[in-house]
Amino acid sequence: MDNLHIGRHISGQFNEDLERVINNVMHMGGLVEKQLTDALAAVGQSDVELAKQVLSNDYQVNAYEVSIDDECTRVIAKRQPAAGDLRLIMAVVKTIADLERIGDDAEKIARVALESFSSSQQDLLVNLDNLGRHVLEFLQASLDAFTRMDCEAAVKIHQMDNKINREYEALMRQLMTYMMEDPRSIPQVMTVIWSARALERIGDRCQNICEYIIYFVKGKVVRHTSAEDIKKL
Amino acid sequence: MISISPNALANGSDSSLAKTLDLNNLTPEQVALDINNLNLFYGEKQALNNISMSIPKGQVTAFIGPSGCGKSTLLRCINRMNDLVDNCHISGEINLHGSNIYNKHVDVADLRRKVGMVFQRPNPFPKTIYENVVYGLRITGENNRRKLDEAVEKSLKSAALWNEVKDRLHESALGLSGGQQQRLVIARAIAIQPEVLLLDEPTSALDPISTLTIEELINDLKKQFTVVIVTHNMQQAARVSDQTAFMYMGDLIEYNDTNTLFTTPLKKKTEDYITGRYG
Repeated sequence: MDNLHIGRHISGQFNEDLERVINNVMHMGGLVEKQLTDALAAVGQSDVELAKQVLSNDYQVNAYEVSIDDECTRVIAKRQPAAGDLRLIMAVVKTIADLERIGDDAEKIARVALESFSSSQQDLLVNLDNLGRHVLEFLQASLDAFTRMDCEAAVKIHQMDNKINREYEALMRQLMTYMMEDPRSIPQVMTVIWSARALERIGDRCQNICEYIIYFVKGKVVRHTSAEDIKKL
Repeated sequence: MISISPNALANGSDSSLAKTLDLNNLTPEQVALDINNLNLFYGEKQALNNISMSIPKGQVTAFIGPSGCGKSTLLRCINRMNDLVDNCHISGEINLHGSNIYNKHVDVADLRRKVGMVFQRPNPFPKTIYENVVYGLRITGENNRRKLDEAVEKSLKSAALWNEVKDRLHESALGLSGGQQQRLVIARAIAIQPEVLLLDEPTSALDPISTLTIEELINDLKKQFTVVIVTHNMQQAARVSDQTAFMYMGDLIEYNDTNTLFTTPLKKKTEDYITGRYG
């Protein structure tokens, strides 16, 4: 949190407000990370109980989003943050919206574990597991960069999304083949497609979080910007 | 409708849709005041260090900074109020329409007709509302009743005070509220049609509602005048000004368009000041 210089406000209360907001974002990030880890584990091990737990825990992620949103609104109303403080609040508000969606996506993935797959269809899930592991790494790296507000790391890991997109496309081709070969598997394959799609979306949201970090540190909007231009910053 | 070019976001730089002036490359027509290498000493103590900046015409420029940073001193230089201070020495120049106001042959009274000023505390004369507004015109020898009436109505309307006082123009100005008095003083300043209006913390003695009225007024005034405002209230600077200059210990630290200065200041000192951090 050194990059934030939160503790240097003349107003100690302002310091406390911002510290509380940041701590809550970190807790929320940790929770979302756990939800995704559990969802992937539930799918990998066909653990129905764990999947149900993920579904029932999603409300906590939602509650965090609402309460952090609330705190940010209060900070804006009472402190009129400017410059870095303002960018921090904006970055937080956008980050928690993406985290909440990642929570929803984890829920979608957990639902796969509730479906029954025949042993011949277990291959499908192995591929999903690979993509899932990479997405989880991306999420962890993004949250780590957010915690340290590490712009360099954010620029670097921003590119991980390309790899995830390529894996997602390869998986799609494979799933397509399954459906053509055995139309009876379509319902199960569809379920896998939905969760692969959810994983791919999580990758996009992690990329967004990296962009918010860059915005906070550099004050530059890098959304809709090519990778080369981001590196030049 | 917002129009935005496809590559407006491409380089990750300025995504602002608002059009802002490039303060370093203003054309002579855009400049109201050009300050060059201005140094000011109170006796041995230097209060302004080599200030250079161009203040654009028809816009609101705010000076912010901690107490004693020289912002009021700089403002007072613009209509030579510092001439009244003993032991005050000034070097450098301030150009109004390309001519230096510190030239020896400049008539200070004439300069102050072109560069009006409003102070922190409302200071109406102990006269009627009407006489307060026409005071400047009477000094210039204007006594035509019809012209004076016109000027009173026009100035009071511009100062957003007309509707409140039109039925009691001949009552004492001292019976007005603080916010009304301040608007009256602004009406008095603009009655003589200055080119530049200097406001030295014009709302610091007013309640929040009167403050908003004055801020709204400032926004209207810039259509006719160039406005330079000194304020302790950073949010006020953010709300009313087009450009903001941050000063610290007699130095001009950063001068930029207000949107940039309050979201992505370039200097760390500016950031620390506007976010309320100690350096």
